[in-house]
Amino acid sequence: MLRRLGVRLASLAGVLLLLTFLVFIIQSTLPADPVKAFYGRNSSPEIIAEKRAELGLDDPLIEQYGSFMGRLVQGDLGVSLRTRQPVREDIGAFLPATLELALAASVVAVGLGLAIGILGSRPGRASGALRSSSVALAAAPTFLAGIAGILIFYRWLGWLPAGQRSSELGTSGPTGFLLIDTLARGDLAGMADALRHMVLPAVALGIGPAVAIGRTLRSSLRQSYREEYIRSARAKGVSEAAIIGRHALRNSINPALAMAGLQLGLLLAGAVVVEVVFSWPGIGLYLSQGISSSDFPSVIGVVFVLGVMYVLVNAAVDSLQILVDPRLRS
Amino acid sequence: MNAPDTEVADTGSADTGSADTEPVVVAGTIVTARDEIDDDDPGRASLPGAFRPRWMGQRGRRRTGRRMRRSGVVAVWMLVVTTVVLLVLPTLLSLTESEIAGTPFAEPLGEQFLGTDSQGRDVAERALLGMRVSWFAALAVIAVGVTIGGMIGLVSGFSGGIVDAVLMRLTDAALALPGPLVALAVVAALGPSLKNTLIAVALTWWPWYARIVRSQVRALMGRPHVEAARAGGLSRTRVALVHVVPGTLSAVLVAASLDVGAVILVLAGLSFLGLGSPAPAAELGAMTAQGLTYLFNAPWVAVVPALGLFLLAVLANFVGDAMSDALEA
Repeated sequence: MLRRLGVRLASLAGVLLLLTFLVFIIQSTLPADPVKAFYGRNSSPEIIAEKRAELGLDDPLIEQYGSFMGRLVQGDLGVSLRTRQPVREDIGAFLPATLELALAASVVAVGLGLAIGILGSRPGRASGALRSSSVALAAAPTFLAGIAGILIFYRWLGWLPAGQRSSELGTSGPTGFLLIDTLARGDLAGMADALRHMVLPAVALGIGPAVAIGRTLRSSLRQSYREEYIRSARAKGVSEAAIIGRHALRNSINPALAMAGLQLGLLLAGAVVVEVVFSWPGIGLYLSQGISSSDFPSVIGVVFVLGVMYVLVNAAVDSLQILVDPRLRS
Repeated sequence: MNAPDTEVADTGSADTGSADTEPVVVAGTIVTARDEIDDDDPGRASLPGAFRPRWMGQRGRRRTGRRMRRSGVVAVWMLVVTTVVLLVLPTLLSLTESEIAGTPFAEPLGEQFLGTDSQGRDVAERALLGMRVSWFAALAVIAVGVTIGGMIGLVSGFSGGIVDAVLMRLTDAALALPGPLVALAVVAALGPSLKNTLIAVALTWWPWYARIVRSQVRALMGRPHVEAARAGGLSRTRVALVHVVPGTLSAVLVAASLDVGAVILVLAGLSFLGLGSPAPAAELGAMTAQGLTYLFNAPWVAVVPALGLFLLAVLANFVGDAMSDALEA
């Protein structure tokens, strides 16, 4: 098992290296000249040449990659052209909001996915309805889910707030995670408020992955039901709940876990869209503002951070699979 | 007749029923009707056992033939109707992207069927045009992805050895990267436009196809008809293109048809973030993003294009499901 985990770790390092290389290539093939972008289009040629040399843009590519990696390891992602702040500081300020949203959406995705998978695998009319509605839900664009949520639950029913992380501005505390900060302050009303703000975006973001996880789980559960050990358990008179919970689910969780890893990684990309719909002040909103103002360093910085998180989530889920399923350990 | 031959005979009959495509058994050799016609071409039918797989031919087709044929027909019809409607309708109704149709923010079912946007343009008209763009863009991305992935998978599976190992590690690495995010960075670097978005997504949408084609090729390489073709001294290119590629098609088509909906959504997401065509162009994602500003006063401006996108993606998923039902034994 340790060996397999080691192999997984090594391939993780390889993929991360590839990611940095890709980001570097994209960055260095930019049609827009970063020097002109930063120092102004009308700077004299001498100044531009001097700055180019200073920034090392005339060095061979491999040397540039070396210094790029050097900066990356120190956490230097360049300076945002829009906010004129180091991209690392910007991302540091906005990342907790995104992580909080992504975690909440993961809870929705996994919980709802389990429900869809288990209920859908049972015989009966309800499961048929669930199945066809999940086919439709799989096709719903994230922003449609968000817009529908806002119009129905905020505009029409008035049950939930839409947009921002809380009713008061500037309530963020030391960790940046509103739920933790409000709890640490003992501000339960603030925590409830933050939770209410989180419901709509988390559901909008989590529903797509939930359907994907649910469909995978459903089909692998249905395969498990046909196995001999399930028949023996039934013959022994084990209750249906125990059959699902103790026997079928454990043997069919692996494909669903693999799907969950993929989906939770992609959820990070979906968060960008959801944050725009709900004006959620995370790195997705920061990214979209960067796109509209051609702020390339911030765009590439956010993509890099989200990409690293995606790769890490996938590696974590893979390792979890190895831990959960003894059949994968050999 | 021995077992593998029976299997081959089944594979050969793509269209059951019509007499001219039924395989004919001549002295223990499978000769399909097409091969007989091509008899004057040396090296085609003369190899014992080296039959040419029917394009998209599948095993076990006879048993569940009727059901599969029906859903296959449905899928193809849905595909054709959608394509033709989206291609012809906007031209027929002479729809335009930026024509002012009435007062700004006219409500649905009033001046225009589904209302007008902030500049008085017909929302339904623009949504229909946007659906056309989305549909063909997604098909183009899939086509490019299948071509790139197919070639990599074919070379990898056919060569084996070190070429295979290198290409597959590359594919694994590409699979481990977040496609939509990489595409986003590429478009942001190249500059936002529909063309660049298509290039960027197509560049990230091939690894699955490469894997599928490779595994199919590896499986087909051990089959008697390929061995016979190789033993008969046919060139590698010929064996690959004529005797192996057709057998990989159905698996790739299943994967590709199931992907159309997902590609539509990814492209719309990029367009939503401002990475599609510039302003006046009718793209569903960008239209929804613009409509967000007026969500409470004129919800239809954002909702109509988003619903159009949803419809298109649902349709694509149903076509995909029907297609995979028909092709998967």
